[in-house]
Order: sequence, then structure tokens, then C-alpha cells
Amino acid sequence: MIEEKKTVPDKPASKAGEGGENPEVFPVNRGYIRRKKFYNNLAICFAVIAFIIGGFPVFHIIYKAFEVGSAYLNWNFVSTLPTGFPIGARGGILNAIVGDVYLIVIASVLSIPLGIGSGLYLSLFGRKRSNYFLKLLNELMIGIPSVVWGIVGFFVFSTATGPGFHLGFSSLAGGLTLGFIMVPIITLLTEQAVNQIPASYIEGALAMGATKWQATHSVIIKAAMGGIFTGILLGVMNIIGQTAPLLFTNYYNTGMPTGVTGPGGAVGDLAMLIFIYIHEPSKILHYKAEAASIVLLAFILALDLGLRLINYLTKRFLL
Amino acid sequence: MAEEKKKDYEIKVDVKNLNFYYGKQHLLKNVNLFFKKNSVCTLLGPSGCGKSTFLRTLNRMNDYTEGARLTGEVIIDGQNIYGKSVDVVELRRNIGMVFQNPNPFPKSIFENVAFGLRIHGIKNKEFIVERVEKCLKYAGLYDEVKDKLAKPAFSLSGGQQQRLCIARAIATNPSILLMDEPTAYLDPVSTSIILDLITTFKKYYTIIIVSHNIQQAGRISDYSGFFLDGELIEFDEAGNFFLRPKDKRTENFITSRY
Ligand SMILES: Nc1ncnc2c1ncn2[C@@H]1O[C@H](COP(=O)(O)OP(=O)(O)OP(=O)(O)O)[C@@H](O)[C@H]1O
Ligand SMILES: [Mg+2]
Repeated sequence: MIEEKKTVPDKPASKAGEGGENPEVFPVNRGYIRRKKFYNNLAICFAVIAFIIGGFPVFHIIYKAFEVGSAYLNWNFVSTLPTGFPIGARGGILNAIVGDVYLIVIASVLSIPLGIGSGLYLSLFGRKRSNYFLKLLNELMIGIPSVVWGIVGFFVFSTATGPGFHLGFSSLAGGLTLGFIMVPIITLLTEQAVNQIPASYIEGALAMGATKWQATHSVIIKAAMGGIFTGILLGVMNIIGQTAPLLFTNYYNTGMPTGVTGPGGAVGDLAMLIFIYIHEPSKILHYKAEAASIVLLAFILALDLGLRLINYLTKRFLL
Repeated sequence: MAEEKKKDYEIKVDVKNLNFYYGKQHLLKNVNLFFKKNSVCTLLGPSGCGKSTFLRTLNRMNDYTEGARLTGEVIIDGQNIYGKSVDVVELRRNIGMVFQNPNPFPKSIFENVAFGLRIHGIKNKEFIVERVEKCLKYAGLYDEVKDKLAKPAFSLSGGQQQRLCIARAIATNPSILLMDEPTAYLDPVSTSIILDLITTFKKYYTIIIVSHNIQQAGRISDYSGFFLDGELIEFDEAGNFFLRPKDKRTENFITSRY
């Protein structure tokens, strides 16, 4: 208080070059500076350790799968159907690859429009209070164990008796069940992506006289594209590894499907193939399961790169 | 209020007893004023006094603000825009708005200006190209961007983005132009291009500008209003407003003794 007159000059120096150093005191806490550097280093250490703990098993699994399965990884493996006894001892895994394509396409056709639609609704159109519960519901749906989806899918799509669609054990029944697993994931990611778009974009469009839907499809969807694609990708990656929902709705087919419903409608599936082969008392099938898991990984990687490319291209050429 | 008589046929926008609430905050307090056809009006006032809020009530941009409530009337061309039968989309086509912060769309420079045409169903390519070019020229941006119209709008500088937003706002040929500090990010040269634009355009437009620059406001405006804490303290012809303000608070503000 008494010092005030000295530390704060009444008037700033009036001429250039007049005055001296700023006499105000900035109380530097040396101890705190030392500590904050220490905490910074500590955080880096934690990050590295976490990466090693998290990353090591992944790399180890990939390495092991390669070591055991690489002998079977050739063009034949991915281009022929399984034969021999037990089935799969000879031939490849074409049935599962084709089946996965069926399942992903069916699940996506159902879940992408539904998921994006509900995500947009939650972030743009609904009322605040009801949306709170809808969001909660959506997050709960993500938490539902996949085996429960499988049982629900069985009663809704597959069972031949009672109410339901009577689709039998088929790719349509399996794909739709998987689709319903994807919906809440895409919904969540879409909603988050749209919420991250600055309100000023939407305001700008509305102020021009755009309807809410015009603003949505011409400005918002494009700006949120990255997030929406991430949602689709996460959804596909999630279902591609699922076996439980398929146990009750599609099971497995060692050959090619003859349709999408009823008898002959079931398809193979990589995750189911791995699951089944691992349970067979046959070394060859175990090795083939390892090889199939490498194919599954490659499949996911290809999907990831593919969607990123689509995302890039749409951003680059459609905006 | 302005001394001269308020003739109905000259009035473009008439604001009557306008109150605006945001939750419990009373942001605009019984505002009464009018904007004449083909005039430039500047709104002044300290930061946070409700200028932007007021501007947004004129094209119903507050419709989507949750917790916002409004009483009173805003009559544009004889019709209360808060009335039941009002087509908000058509209303907004007729009112161009330039926001306080430049907000170009995540689209190319060309598509930003073409946006207003496209959303109103104009498909004729030549017309669109011509109109985009014209609007960019009006906003004094054309020479800088003519070789990169396909580049994203975000590759432009802040001031260029602001001029792009001005071009975008006039593309739909509105009759009212709302501008929230349209020269805040601009250098003196671009500023004077925009000020010239404003004075030229009042032939066709009714222009309402929020400004922090009192000299600029004095230079371009026909009318001026002074807001303080959500209240319209004074509203008058620019000559009276700047030279003979009636209220002490207005005088203090325009002589920067606030
Ligand atoms: N969305 C909002 N939520 C809460 N308060 C708001 C919101 N928008 C505006 N306000 C409040 O309304 C008041 C007026 O804001 P407004 O943006 O109209 O001021 P302004 O006069 O434009 O100021 P500036 O010159 O700084 O732009 C401020 O006190 C602000 O806190
Ligand atoms: Mg403002």
C-alpha cells in the first residue's frame, strides 16, 4: 500500500526512451517452477509406460499370429472355400470373407441412415430435456452385451415360430442384428461431431434464409463428415469382431450362401470361423485360425484406410 | 426520438416496445426506434450493452436461443415479423446479415457466395457465376481471390473472410443489411472500400450497422442510436446525434469520456 506510489508511475513515460525497467514486482515461485517441470516429465513417463503396457500385447499377438499362421497366408487361403476333414483342414476361408461382406453391407444399410439420422436429431432438432433421456438411452444401448442382442435378434428375426420376421439363420437376420449394434455407436459419434461444429456455421446458413434441413445437409453434414465416418468405422470394427450375436441369428456356413434368408441364407464369418476353428481338436485348424486373424486385421486396416480415403475425397471434392 | 415526423411510407423497420430476456437477464429494455428506407443507421454503445442482441432480433436469429423471450413488435414493411403467419425463411432472404465474427462456411470461396443463391433454388450457372463475381467485387475482394475461387474459405485471412461474408450477405439481393462491426478486422484501405460500399448501397438497401468506431459512424450514418445496458438512450439524425447530443451519457460516450 505504502509502496504503491513508487511501483505504479502516475503517468507513462511521455517520450520515447524515457523511463526505465518496469518496476512492478512479479513474484516468481522457483519451487513451483521446478515442480511443474517434474510433473511434466512424470506425465511423459506415464504416457510411455501406458503405451508399452497397452501396445506390447497387441504387437505380441500380431507377432505370434504371424509366426504360426504365416505359413497359410497365400492367395489360395483367401480365394478358396474350406474343404477336407475336419472341414477347413484344406482350402481357404473365402466363405468367411464373402460372409463378412454380406453382413457389413446389410448392417451398414440399416445402421448408417438410422444412426446419422438420430444423431442429427439429437444434436439439432430435439428439445433439450427429452434429448437428455434419449442420449442416456443411446449410451445404455452401447453398453448392452452383444449376446443379449443375439438373443433379441433370434426372437425378432430368426425364430420360425411366434411373432417376428421368420428369416431363419441367415445373413439378413445376422446383418440386421449387427446393424442394431452399430446404430447407437454411429448416433453417438454423429451427435458429438455435430456438437463440435461452431454454432456460427449454422447461424450463418439460417441467416441467409436456409431452412434447418438445408443448413443441415449443405453445411453441417459436410463439416461433421470426419466424425460421422469415425462413427461408421467404429461401428463396423465393432461388429466385425462379434460372434455372440451371430450364434443365434446366422451361426456359420462353410460354403457360399444361396440367398439372404431361410435355408441356405447363412454365411461364413471371420470371427465365427476363428471361434469355431480354435475349438476344434486339430492343430491345422488352430494355425488356420491364427492366419484368419491376420486376414481379419488386414480387413480392418483396409476398411480404415478406405473410409479415410472416402472422407478425404468427399472433403476435397464435394465441399 | 427523431424530431421530424415519422411518415409511414418511409419507414422500413419499426421497432415498438421491444423487450428481450435471456433467462432472468433483461437484455433489451423497451426499445423504440425506426429505420427509414434507404438510410444508414449506426448503433453505438459500450461492449456488452446489447447491440448484437438487438440486431439479432431484427431477423429472428434469437429464435433458436434456448431460454430467450421477447415481447413487443418489430414491423418490417408493415408486417410484424413476430406475427404468426410470417415466413421466417423469406424474411431472412430479405435481410442480409454480417456477423460480428467472420463465419464463412467450410466450403470454397465461390460456394460461400453462391450459397444464398443455391438455397433459394437458383440453378442457372451463368447467373450464379456472374452474381458471385459481382458481389465479390462489391466487397472489394475480387482481385485478391479471382484466381483461387475454388480454394476453401478458411485459407483467407480474417479481414478477407469478413469481406467474403459481406459478399455472401448481399448475394441474395436483400433489402435490409444488418452488419455487426463489419470493419473490425479490416485495414484502412479495405475499411474505406466497405464504407464506400455502404454509402453506395443505401440507394437500394436499408443498412443497420453496429460500430465501435465513432468517427466512421459519423462519416457514414444518417441516423444513430446509443445503447447503454440494454436501453436505447438516444436515437436521432446523425447530425444532431454527433454534434448536439441531448443526453449527457451519449455525449460522454461519443467524446470517449466513458
Ligand atoms: N447466448 C447468450 N447467453 C448468455 N448471455 C448472453 C448471450 N448472448 C448475449 N448475452 C448477454 O447479453 C448482453 C449483451 O450482449 P451483446 O452481444 O448484445 O453485446 P454487444 O453490445 O454486442 O457487445 P460487443 O460490443 O462487445 O459486441 C451481454 O451482457 C451478454 O452477457
Ligand atoms: Mg456485439
